[in-house]
Amino acid sequence: MPVTLDQHNDFCLLHLEGEIDISSATELRMVLLKMLASGRELRVDLERANDLDVTSIQLLWAAEREARRSGMGMTLTGRVPETISAALGDAGFEKFPVPMESEVSR
Amino acid sequence: MTLTIDKYKQAFQEEAREILVELESSLLELNENRGDKELVARAFRALHTIKGSGAMFGFDELAAFTHKLENAFDEVRNGRLSITSELVDLSLAALDQIRAMLEESAGRGATNRVVSAEILAKVLRLTGERENRPAEAPPSAPLAPATGPAVASGTTRDWLVRFSPGPDLMRSGANPLLRELKQLGSLRVHTSMAAIPPLGELDPERCYVAWDMVLTTAAARDAISDVFIFVADSCELTIEPASEASLEVQVSPPLEKKTDRASERASSAAASPVVDESNAPEKKPPPWGRRASDTPDNATSIRVPAAKLDQLVNLVGELVTVQARLLEVATRREDPEVSAVSEEIERLTTTLRETSISIRMLPIRGTFERFRRLVHDLARDLHKEVELTIEGADTELDKSVIDELSDPLMHLIRNSMDHGIEPPEARLAGKKRSAATIHLSARHSGASVLICVADDGGGIDAAAVRERAIEKGLVAADAQLTEAEIFALIMAPGFSTAKQITDVSGRGVGMDVVRRKVEALRGTIDIASQLCTGTSVTLRLPLTLAIIDGLLVRVGQAYFVLPLASTLECIELTQQDIEQANGKHVANVRGEIIPYIRLREYFNLPIERLEREQIMVAETEEGRYGFVVDQVLGDHQTVIKNLGRFYRHVDLVSGATILGNGTVALIIDPQRLVRDALQTLAVGKRRLGKPADARGEARAPVASAPNAGAVVLLESAAAGGAAGP
Repeated sequence: MPVTLDQHNDFCLLHLEGEIDISSATELRMVLLKMLASGRELRVDLERANDLDVTSIQLLWAAEREARRSGMGMTLTGRVPETISAALGDAGFEKFPVPMESEVSR
Repeated sequence: MTLTIDKYKQAFQEEAREILVELESSLLELNENRGDKELVARAFRALHTIKGSGAMFGFDELAAFTHKLENAFDEVRNGRLSITSELVDLSLAALDQIRAMLEESAGRGATNRVVSAEILAKVLRLTGERENRPAEAPPSAPLAPATGPAVASGTTRDWLVRFSPGPDLMRSGANPLLRELKQLGSLRVHTSMAAIPPLGELDPERCYVAWDMVLTTAAARDAISDVFIFVADSCELTIEPASEASLEVQVSPPLEKKTDRASERASSAAASPVVDESNAPEKKPPPWGRRASDTPDNATSIRVPAAKLDQLVNLVGELVTVQARLLEVATRREDPEVSAVSEEIERLTTTLRETSISIRMLPIRGTFERFRRLVHDLARDLHKEVELTIEGADTELDKSVIDELSDPLMHLIRNSMDHGIEPPEARLAGKKRSAATIHLSARHSGASVLICVADDGGGIDAAAVRERAIEKGLVAADAQLTEAEIFALIMAPGFSTAKQITDVSGRGVGMDVVRRKVEALRGTIDIASQLCTGTSVTLRLPLTLAIIDGLLVRVGQAYFVLPLASTLECIELTQQDIEQANGKHVANVRGEIIPYIRLREYFNLPIERLEREQIMVAETEEGRYGFVVDQVLGDHQTVIKNLGRFYRHVDLVSGATILGNGTVALIIDPQRLVRDALQTLAVGKRRLGKPADARGEARAPVASAPNAGAVVLLESAAAGGAAGP
């Protein structure tokens, strides 16, 4: 499964693996909605992902916007693989639309 | 995941097949109009799309092959190569290879790679070696920009490129194409996320993002727009030379705003600097879920497997039958509440039926256009000059009818080219143009479609056909046959297996195949021919094979349905009217004499004179005719059921339908009924040694059993019609 969700006491952790594209977009949206409904902090782990397309980027972007507005916050844990950075560049993004944990804590 | 990719691959295969059909007709047209730049551009675009999407979906061999051919057309586009017969023939052969590769990828057949290599070698001889162009981007970079002159032309400049893809960009398997743009030069991007709706309202497969970019490149505008060629139909794209001012406004996110919103951004740090949400209010995007680019075309068109449509129509057919039962029950119970529901359901069923049938209607263009290639190739092989003209290509027909039509039309065209059309020398000797014409046309006529294949060839020699038929034992030596009856003989099975004989111009090869196919579609065939002038074969086919609007009538205890589309009006026939006509089977309808057929007599139902009967007046190709019935019960949505193999030779009835009470009603084909009556009449007259009736002559289909009742009927009808009231 490219999209898996771990629910912890005070946060939800979303693992994205392999190619995250239009074929998993519907599932990703459902999971993100579930995360937002949980009221807990949202974290995303991309370490094992190797591709992202526009559909997944815009979903993550929209989720981040909503998490930010409702005060839950959404952050990225771990490093962003180079293939993902390249995929972001191909879609016109300089970096991932969700801030790194380190950026937020700063 | 794999399933999704397979779905896209399948979609590509389907799309590519369609593009190939279009490409084929462009190439053939190009052969006629060699200077037409628009046709060259069209062919180039088609190849570019096949190459690009082919590579994208892993059809690497196909993409690489197409790429070489595309190069050739790029050369043509740039005026370095001209269109010749050789190039057209080579391209057509290449197109066949691409088609074979597609079929192979779908698990059907195999591609002959030796042929591919030969074609490529010839294409390269025309382009590659001569020009010795550097290796272009490999096909795996699908939309590799056109290189060459555009890029190499020297000075660089800035282009402002605004790309707002249609909502289906991602669904169609494309990508935002920025990577391809970057290959042209340096690119600065501003990604607009303003149109992304809240997550709850977001369609996950839709693209909401738009891009404003500044591309610094030496490439020309054409090279830039070529990058978007694959998505050009479904996006908003502007490419214009950028001025300094426009760069500031359009691309760089306003600095002050960024600082103003620094706190929010710091906490989010979300959007990268190039992503700017703050533009949203200024741009005033349309409400969520709808964008300016949502033209009806890209928002409403979807691809559905034909089998699903067939299933839909079948289900609607079942629904119509059940609805008829409900109506029957409601009428019997006289319960106003049930009646109201029944009426509502009837209304909905009618709409549903019309909608689902209309979904299956397709223009016949695709089938017609395919024959351009056949005509081109056959003309070359037979050393004849033939032009194919097409008329009424937008005429719509049920998909299932169109599917079955290809074969018979192919046989007709082959026959025409093989045997009908003379060699150029013979044509010139006969004071004709050396180039012959085959005219393919389609038009609606009531509930039918008429499809005609006409040529200006040598025509059919009726005397020779007759002689041959007698020789074959198909008709008696002393048989008196009308010309139409003689022409109908060439479709007899025995005749078609005859060896080609020049004095009959060989017609008949495969004609029984045509007849069988057309009859299976409940259609009829008319042949008209004049020696030295040409032949025309007209197929009359029903619009649909599924459900029709009919008029339900009763004759004694039997029920019949007449297609509503051919029915003009219903009038009453009183005993007084019959007496006024002196017993002749004609009715005076507002001064017009209409001959009629009394179904009770025609079908040998027990005679029982009624005080009042009703005439349904129908339009047929033989003119207006009336059908006398006991009672007209009203309109009826008729789900056509086949009569089965046992009754397949019953010509007068085109099928049956099941009524609400479970009774079976036969669907009458007025056209055939009238013909049968006229033919029986003609036979009867010949037996009496009279000349054939003028209205019956020249339109005699394959003979059916003479109906004694009908002879008597129409004897009087024709006599009355001629003499007047």
